[in-house]
Formats: sequence, C-alpha cells, structure tokens
Amino acid sequence: MKKDLNLKVNVLPVLTYNFLQVNDSAITGSDLNIDKLESPEAKALPQGVSVKRVSFAEAGELFRKVSDRINVSTGVPGVPNGDTSGRDASQAVRTGMGADVDNLMEAVGAQVDVYTVEEGVKAAEPVVLEFKMDKGQGVLAGQVIHAKKDSEITVVMDYNSELDAEGFLGVSTRLLAEEGAKISLVKAQLLGKGFTHFDDIGGAAFNKGAINITTLELGANKVWTGSYINLSEKESELNTNMGYLCRDDEKLDINYVADHRGKKTLANMQFKGVLMDQAKKTFRGTIDFKNGSSGSAGDEQEDALLLSPDVVNRSMPVILCQEEDVDGRHGATIGQLGEDLLFYMQSRGIDEEEAKRIMIRARLKSVARTIPEPGLMERVNYYIQNVL
Amino acid sequence: MSEQSLLQVKDLSVSIDNELPILHNINLDIKPGETHVLMGPNGAGKSTLGFTLMGNPHYNVTEGNILFDGEDITNSGADKRAKAGMFLSFQNPYEVPGISLSSFIRNSYHAQTGAPVKLMSFRKSLKEAMEILSMDESYADRDLNVGFSGGEKKKAEILQLLMLNPKFAILDETDSGLDVDAVRTVSKGIEEYQKKKDGALLIITHSTKILESLHVDYTHVLVKGKIVHTGDGSLVDEINEHGFERFINED
Amino acid sequence: MDNKQMVADIDHSLYDFKDIENEQDFYRMQEGLTEETVLKVSEEKDDPEWMREFRLKCLGIYKELQVPDWGPSIEGLDMDKISSYVRHKSDMKGSWEEVPEDIKNTFEKLGIPQAERESLAGVGAQYDSELVYHNLKDEVAAQGVIYTDLESAMKGPYADMIKSHFMKLVPPTDHKFAALHGAVWSGGSFVYVPKGAKVEVPLQSYFRLNAAGAGQFEHTLIIVDEGADLHFIEGCSAPKYNVANLHAGCVELYVGKNARLRYSTIENWSKNMYNLNTKRAIVEEGGRMEWVSGSFGSHTSYLYPMTILKGDDSQMEFTGITFAGKGQNLDTGAKVVHQGKRTASVISTKSISKDGGIGTYRSSVIINSTAKKAKASVSCDSLMLDSISRADTIPGMDIRTDDADVGHEAKIGRISDDAIFYLMSRGISEEDAKAMIVSGFANPVSKELPLEYAVEMNNLIKLEMSGNM
Repeated sequence: MKKDLNLKVNVLPVLTYNFLQVNDSAITGSDLNIDKLESPEAKALPQGVSVKRVSFAEAGELFRKVSDRINVSTGVPGVPNGDTSGRDASQAVRTGMGADVDNLMEAVGAQVDVYTVEEGVKAAEPVVLEFKMDKGQGVLAGQVIHAKKDSEITVVMDYNSELDAEGFLGVSTRLLAEEGAKISLVKAQLLGKGFTHFDDIGGAAFNKGAINITTLELGANKVWTGSYINLSEKESELNTNMGYLCRDDEKLDINYVADHRGKKTLANMQFKGVLMDQAKKTFRGTIDFKNGSSGSAGDEQEDALLLSPDVVNRSMPVILCQEEDVDGRHGATIGQLGEDLLFYMQSRGIDEEEAKRIMIRARLKSVARTIPEPGLMERVNYYIQNVL
Repeated sequence: MSEQSLLQVKDLSVSIDNELPILHNINLDIKPGETHVLMGPNGAGKSTLGFTLMGNPHYNVTEGNILFDGEDITNSGADKRAKAGMFLSFQNPYEVPGISLSSFIRNSYHAQTGAPVKLMSFRKSLKEAMEILSMDESYADRDLNVGFSGGEKKKAEILQLLMLNPKFAILDETDSGLDVDAVRTVSKGIEEYQKKKDGALLIITHSTKILESLHVDYTHVLVKGKIVHTGDGSLVDEINEHGFERFINED
Repeated sequence: MDNKQMVADIDHSLYDFKDIENEQDFYRMQEGLTEETVLKVSEEKDDPEWMREFRLKCLGIYKELQVPDWGPSIEGLDMDKISSYVRHKSDMKGSWEEVPEDIKNTFEKLGIPQAERESLAGVGAQYDSELVYHNLKDEVAAQGVIYTDLESAMKGPYADMIKSHFMKLVPPTDHKFAALHGAVWSGGSFVYVPKGAKVEVPLQSYFRLNAAGAGQFEHTLIIVDEGADLHFIEGCSAPKYNVANLHAGCVELYVGKNARLRYSTIENWSKNMYNLNTKRAIVEEGGRMEWVSGSFGSHTSYLYPMTILKGDDSQMEFTGITFAGKGQNLDTGAKVVHQGKRTASVISTKSISKDGGIGTYRSSVIINSTAKKAKASVSCDSLMLDSISRADTIPGMDIRTDDADVGHEAKIGRISDDAIFYLMSRGISEEDAKAMIVSGFANPVSKELPLEYAVEMNNLIKLEMSGNM
C-alpha cells in the first residue's frame, strides 16, 4: 500500500504563542510504503494473559464502554486559556499524539492486538514484542493492554533494524489499568538512521491502578512520541521515564500529559536526553490537575544535555491546575556539561570528549537499567556503548 | 478541690482527619501555676494531644470535651483558644517568608489583646527576652523561622511564649534536636515564664533533659493513645532510669 | 440629555463625532475602525505627515491580522465596534457620583484622601498635566532629562529621535492590537535620559495618565542613553477609574550601553477592562533592564513585557505578581530573547488565584545561537486559594546553542493548613492568617517596589483576600 500522510499531532493541551512553534507538529509524507498492518506476535504469553486481534475501532470499544469513568469530571466550569481538548473528542481514549493517529489507523485498516490480563494475575514474565524492521519496510499497528483488577503485566516493545536502514513504523498503544492493576510498558527504539517513526500512547488508570512507561528513543531520523494518561480514580499513579539521544539531523517531537482526575493521584515524569550535531527536539510535558483531584501530586523533570552549537531545543513544561489541594512541580535543566563536573573529571585525567561520552552513557543507562528484559537491556547498553 | 481548674480534659478521644483513631479517653486537670509533664514513647500520641488542645482542624474530637477557664472550647478555632490564653510551642514551627519575627509577635500580641502595641516599649521587652534566650538581635528582623536552625526555631517559639505571656502553654518536644547548651537556654526561658506569670505548663517530651532544672507537679505517661499512669515529679526520674518498659507492659 | 451635556463639556475630545443623536446610526453604518476615524484622530492630534501615514498603514495591518488563538477569550470585546472603544475615552471624565460603588469602596479602604479621590474621579475636567510635568522637570531638568508628553515632543527638538524610535521595537505587524495601537494611539509620555545621567528619584506617570485623559491607547517611549540610570513607575496602586473597556497601550524602552532602566507597574484597572498592553525593551551592551510588575485589576489581560538582550553582557530581571480574583482572566508573564554573548535573564513570578479567577503564567525564553554563555533562569510559583479558580503555567523555551545555561522551576500549591494553624495558634484570625501568608508569598515582588507602592500593594492583597471589594 502507498500512503500520503498529513497528520497534525502532539497538539499542546493549551495553545501558546505561535512563534514558539510548539503548539503542534505535522507528520507529512507522500507515497509512503506501508506493507504490514499488524504487530509481531509475543515471544511467549504468560499464564492468565490472552491476546485477540481486532480492528482499531473495535479495540477502542473497551475504552468507550468506560469512558464516563475515564473522563470523570466534577462539572465545575473553567477551562484553561487556549484549551485544545475538543480536538481529540472523537478518540476512544485520548492519546498523546491525538485523533489524527486514530484516523490514520482506521483508514489503513491497521490491526490491534488486545492483551487481556485476567483479574488477580500477576504475570511473572514480560510480554515481549519485537518489531524487527526490514530495510524499506512500512508498518502501522496497534496494541491494547487491558489489565483487569489487581493484575500485573509488563510489556516490552523492541523496535529495531539495521543501523543504516530506512523505513516507517507507526505504533499506537492504549492502556487500561483497572482497580489495583499495574501496567509497565517498556519501549526501546533502536531503528536505523533513515526511519520515520511515531509512537502514540493513551490510557487510563482506575482506583489504585498504576501505569509505568519507560521509553528509550535512540535511533531513527524523525520521531514523534506522545502519551496521555488519565489518572481517573483515587490513588492511581503514573511514572514515566524517557531517555533520548538525538544526533545528526534527527528530529524528536514529544507530547506527554498526566491528567489528574481522581483524588490522591500521583504522576512522576522524567525526561533525560542528549542533543548533538544538528538535532532538533521539542518537548511538551503537561501536568493537568483537574477539579476534584485533591491530594494529588505531579512532578515533571527535564534534563537536556546540549552538545553542539547547532542543536535546537524547545521545551514546553506546562502545569494546569483547578484544584487547591495539590502539589505540582516542574523543573528543567538545559545546557552543557557542568563546568565543575568537567573539571572534576579532568582532574582525574579524563579529557572533555571522554567526559561527555561518559555523561551521555550515564544518562541513557540510568533509563536503560530499568528494562526488565535482559536480552534487550544488553542490546540497548551495547548500542549506547558503541554507537557513539 | 480548693482551686479552680484552668484546663480540664474530659474523656477525650481523637482521630486524625476522621479516619485514624489516636487518643482514647484522655483526662487531665491542670490548675494555674502547675507544671505537668506528658511523657511516652514515640508514636504514643503526645503531639496529637498538643495539637488537639490547641485546635488543629486535622484532629477531630470524636468524644469528650475540653474546658479552658471553665469554658467549653472543644469546637473553638485556634485563634479563639490563643485569645483565651493558650499557647502551643510547635515541634516544627512553620516558616513564613515575608513576615519578620518581631512583626509577627507584634501582630499576635495585638490580635490577642486588641490593644495597640507601643513600638518602643515592645522593642525593649523583645530585646530583653531575646537576651534571656541568648538570641542574636538580628533574628527579630529575619523572616519568621525562614532559614532558622532547629535550635533557633525552638528559641523563637519560647521567645513568643515570653512575649505573649499566656495563661497556659503546651511545649511540644521543645527540647528535641537541641544540644545541651541550647536545652539549658530554652529551660531558662521556661523558668522565666513560670516565674513571671504563675503560668501553667504542659510539657510534652520523650526525654527528660529539659526537666532537669524545672519544677514538675505531675507526670503523665501516654502509651498507645492512653494515659496509663499519673504520678508526681519524681516519676520523671524513674522513667529517666528505667524507661517506659514498665508502663508498656502494664497495658 | 445629561450625556450630551457631559460630552459637550469636553471640547478637546477628538472623538466627539458629529451629532450625539446620530450616534447609534453612525456606528451601525460604520462597523469597525475606518480610515475616517483614524484620520480624525490624526487631525485632532495635529500629527506630522509621517505619523498620519503611519496611522493609516497600521489601520491596514490591523484589518489583516487575526486576534490571537491562544489566550483568554476576548469575545466580550466587540471587535466590530472598535471605533466605539476609541471614542469611549471621553467617558473617563465622570464625576465622583458616577464612580461605581465597588471602586468607591476600594478608595475608602485604601485611605485615598477625599481631595485626591475627587481629582481622580474628575480627571477629565482637570486637564492638568503640565503642572505635574513641571514639578518633575524641576528635579531632573538640570541633568538634561526630558520628560514630556509624546504628542508635543513629536513636534519639538526631539522629533527625529521619536520618528526613528516610534513603534520600531513593537512594529504594528507584531499583533492585531499593536496595529490598532499604531492607528489610534493618543497621549503618553516621552522620556530621554542623556548619557551618564542618573535620575535619583523615580519618574511616575500615574498622575499624568489620568490627568491627560490620555486613556487607553497611550504610548510610552523611553530612551535611556549610555551609562544613564532611570526608574520609571507606571500607574499607581490607587485604582484608576476607567469606564472604557479596552486598553491597548504600548511601551517601548531603549536601554543604552551600560545604562539601567527599571520599569515598575502596579496595574489595577477596573474589572471590566480588556488590558491588551504591549511592552518591550531592547538592551545594548552591558545595559540592564529591570521590570517589576503587579497585575491586580482588569477583566482580561494579555501582558508579557518582552526584553531583547541585544548587546553582549546585557541583563534583564523580571519580577511579577498577578492576583486573579472573581471574574478575572489574567494571562501574564514575560518574554526574553538572548542575542548577545554572556547575556543573563532572571524571571521570577508569583501568581494567586481566587474566587474563580483564572491566572495564567505564560512566557518565552529564546536563546539564539549568537548568545554564547547566556544564562536564563525562570521560576514561577502559583498559589491556589480554592478549587474553582485556575492557576496555569505555560512557559516556553527555545534554545539554539549548547553554550547556554537554562534553568526552570515551577511550583503550584496552596496555603498549607499547618501554616494557618500555626498563625491561628498565636491568636490571629483565619482570614488574617491567610492574608499574612499571601502577603509573604508576594513579598519578593513588594520588596522591589518603593515603600509607598509596596504598602499599597499589600493593601490591595488584603482587600482581595477579604473578598469584599
């Protein structure tokens, strides 16, 4: 199949000055080759976990059925200035990249593998999906991970190809963690230099449910990634941890949102990365304390190491709040390697270039070490060690 | 009993945020000029009692009542209690940027008495009180508790005690985290309060350092939210030697 | 008709179109801002040729541009009847009796003396700006400082200087309201501080603004020459009474080499005002721009003073506070562009939201590739006083060099119950305890203000906190 793309994605939850060019991003392309519309099969399926392949729309039904719970609201009026939520109203569950991805998936007939974890099942082994991409290949595929009450599941997605390969990979992953359930999603992207890639995540956590998302964006040429998690009910929790490396003329476009709706919900989002050469990165991170989310806390930390005079780093850390009893924080540190640290390293005989390499590796490895699949962790570490 | 009670606590039970029950059936009777000591192991509920007496809204009285000067104050706000003559020296005093220690005390004094505060005489008595507590004068103009060390914060609390001169003061772990010299200084401040105004005291502590130089009338032992034993001042020495072991087992 | 009588009294009003009886018909016929209106303004001002052409050019741009798609709604502002806002200026000249009750109460509580109140209310009738200028001039004239109204300065010895600076920093193409401003601007001040002159006493524009009746499209142009130093205070915390509901002023500040300019504003427009003000500064080598900004009034605000750090080693510091109460949508913040080497900026803001008010902190920090060793730090704290209000933080950063050091911190929270309890345990009422904590929260801003302004700001906070304004 050949496909023209013109998607408006990663729309900031609230618009700001247009000159900053962060309000959204566009994925465009013509005659894109798409030859596969499904995810690879899991290497092994733990007991109590089942999988079913359905259409994109059908997979969305799971979320539509509980959309009142996901989008629970106190009804107190007051929207933020420049609110864009209306754009994604058609989605079964709101995702970081937004409605255009859903529309694309449905238009091409992409299939969704729905993984269901039965009540109380704590899957001992992760579900591992390896997207081993061939040169020139184009894939669009989706997954839904549905963890029923008090269950636990880890899903590891491994995107890889030859280092110099080109191609296209678009993935949509939607998550539902019911009462007391815990979903850990790990995505490691080690695609070749010529790849265009997008990774769209959306989901919700109910009472004491938890969603953990670990992502490593190390390869590909153009990457869009978004995540929108609704912390819909009491004491639900979100932890995201992203590590990225952007080199050459790579472009990375990020839009992560934690939507606090339930009481005493918790979000902790970390973004650590390195920009080199002529790389361009746009980071959007939003903590949204909706009315009713009393007792909640959200923290968002960005740490970007800039290692070339030609990089472009855009950051948009947003906190939205309509609840008195919350604790919201954001911090960003953007710049070079600290002079003190550099001096310290040099005093031990390490030159500047080596010091930089050490720090890049340290940053990425701190994220990589959380990968629960030893084989993948090893490959990621190998990549980090040797690609630089 | 010949003398009128100042503080009467009757069958008091308390929970935090209406969820967790902490104190059960507490009874206390404190008369003017008396010094009571409340001791007990960590987590017994000592600070809870202090907060409840002062009216912290997080602590809910589920049963019983509190009388101060004959008036039922069980449901009064903290400011009302302060105006009635109660004082709590906080274990962890709050930092309030933007208000200096001296203007805070002046504000409090004014709020409690309603009388205008004469700046010169106020400055003078503040200076005197600070001298007793070996506090550097510069603290008067620093923002309330902001950047104060643990010891300085405690001294600032006792400074407020001396300046506001309440009828009854609760001292919550005023000695915790202080070195020997600081404890001595703080005790000096407390003695000064005892001297100056026949003030009643409830001293909450889990150690005995602060009591060495103070006269104590009664000692209460709180274990798991209950007063398990009440004795005179000598009980302090006994606990000092043997700890709470005996009272815990008693339960 | 009373109304007619009032309008007729103001014979210098340039907006006194035609016959009052025809007013309704006139507007129905002439939707929006027309060339005729603009030419009338120009004629009344006796503009030089270039200014008349400039106004018409701005009108064209105004018609091309769209209203912003990102900020607070300005639906309440009828863009089709913009000429009526231009005209409304004359309504400022009401009498004390016409001042709405809530503003009167504010004056009472602020303790503004009766005499001053009368003069505030009767600004239109007391066109008295010369006296104010004169007083100030005496103090600073000896240093060669010029402080005058922009309109007359445009015709005097500084005509060329004004022509080469006017709306060069804020071009009319910047946004729709800048273009509107360019077309219909009226009133405002011109300040020139010559090389090396250090003005000890702050210059204040408050009295003049009211007295001149210059209203809602005033233009402020300040040039601080090499090595000079100035503190300019705009407005006063005494509320300005203004029944008109659009303010689209423009402030252009030129800070010369090694010069310093501090620009302080306490804004407390009445709460039906759409405050779409544009402020911008450009700083040459080694110069320093300091903004102190308090936003208390207005119904809707778009306010982001911008600084261009053009010269090497130039600096900027922005300290701001916004208090959004009932019915208010205050979208405020700051913008900075780092161009020169070793440029430094510090943005520090506080925002308080209460009674359904919307407080938005919005900013942009741009570090261009030329700005080697630039440093930027942003910190914004928001305080929520209830759960029907909003406090949103929308900061943007665009960094194009590795050789920069950028830090950002944002915090949002409420007054801790424990802090209130602590104060209450000393006998302070809950209301006063909250007010004390909020004043403390605002302290980093008020300590940047001259004492009388700091006191007034604290009074404003107390008033807002007591909720019975």
